[in-house]
Amino acid sequence: MLSLLRRYREQLLVAVLLLFPLAVFFANAKKPNQLSRVDRAVLSLTAPLEKAIGAVVVGALDAWHGYVALRGAHQRAAALRKENQALELRVQELKHEATENDRLRRLLGLAEAAPARAYTGARVIGIRAEPSGLQLITLDKGSDEGLSRGMPVITAEGVVGRVHSTGGGSADVLLAIDRNSSIAVRVERTRARANVRGLGHPGLARLDYAVRSEDVIEGDLLVTSGTDAVFPAGLPVGRVTRLQRAAHGLFLEGSVIPSVDPTRVEEVLVITSGARERALAPAAQAPGAVP
Amino acid sequence: MKPALHAALALLLVALQAALLRFVGGGAFTLCLPVVLVVHLAITAELVDGTVAAAAVGYVLDVASGGTKGLLTSLAVSAFLAVRIIRVGFEVRGWAPFAALCALAAFGLSAGGVALDRSVAPPDLRPSWALLPRVLLAAILTGLLSPLLRWGLRRLDAALGEQPSELAG
Repeated sequence: MLSLLRRYREQLLVAVLLLFPLAVFFANAKKPNQLSRVDRAVLSLTAPLEKAIGAVVVGALDAWHGYVALRGAHQRAAALRKENQALELRVQELKHEATENDRLRRLLGLAEAAPARAYTGARVIGIRAEPSGLQLITLDKGSDEGLSRGMPVITAEGVVGRVHSTGGGSADVLLAIDRNSSIAVRVERTRARANVRGLGHPGLARLDYAVRSEDVIEGDLLVTSGTDAVFPAGLPVGRVTRLQRAAHGLFLEGSVIPSVDPTRVEEVLVITSGARERALAPAAQAPGAVP
Repeated sequence: MKPALHAALALLLVALQAALLRFVGGGAFTLCLPVVLVVHLAITAELVDGTVAAAAVGYVLDVASGGTKGLLTSLAVSAFLAVRIIRVGFEVRGWAPFAALCALAAFGLSAGGVALDRSVAPPDLRPSWALLPRVLLAAILTGLLSPLLRWGLRRLDAALGEQPSELAG
């Protein structure tokens, strides 16, 4: 027996390495995914790397811009041409800064519109969108800045997602487009209730549990209802599209174009206050109440 | 190279692709750069060392993707073994076969993940087959980038004084 084990030990090891993780997967498939301390430690190593790589890319782009701007400056005619290029680049930079300022101003406006809430601003430093995994973005703020699991993440355009896990200086946000994400919404026009569930695909989500008899039409804006104990009421989630009203069945079938394009998000606000109030809200609210 | 070093390299590649996707595409498409490491291992490493290293790379992928643990670890080992079997029949010489293998492995890893996830997830949480074009695009892009990474991996192998077990092209 021992000689057999010795003889086939390599094949056995390979088989164990192949089958053990598979068994772990099937054992954990029905349970919510929890990160162990080792997982958290491994994951926390990626955030500084992402920040560093991002800084290197930005630095390289700046250096390239500077190189283009200064090249050929020793000749007058060339210098003028280059100066023109530099000015054009500057215009581009100013346009970029103006766009960024506009985004930040709108975020600020959003924050000022609800002064009772506490916000933390954060920048996106990484994106993980593996089709067989979760749709996540990484923020440059974490538990050191008061972020914790479940906090809503928004922009001026609407809901981005919720904090999924935090490290000291970074946090992963589960996007609203992830198939594990379901947000309680209302049709802004008629206050009809529904849910928006992600499909794991940027640009499209699914309309769930919209009662067939309700007044819902394509183009309707869906806003958070505030009844899911996560998102405060009134934040835009998306617009109804591809609506199908079948002859039978309880619910409408339709899709939702998310208000926030997760591929373009650069800065976000994390709502750090009201976790307790949000947790208590559904219990205090009557089933048909309009928030 | 040791499995711990491969896990560190996988971590670096995961961070690299997360940071790069922020600048390019913003998540509209994705990549699976660590699979290049698995294919490189399948071509250059011994069976046991390579399997352990592939499992380490898969573990990093599991943690980074946030999916159910064990899925990508098992699939990374499967990809490693599959490439080793393919290698027996076809000589992997030059960048084009390597890129094709990487694309195939990346597609197998992601599509296998979707398929296994579908087999266990509740009906309303099942990933849709509509994700397959996205998986295919990620595989093609990973294949296109793989020669560049392979060049770096071979330089690293050389710097560490490691010789490939067989001719890798």
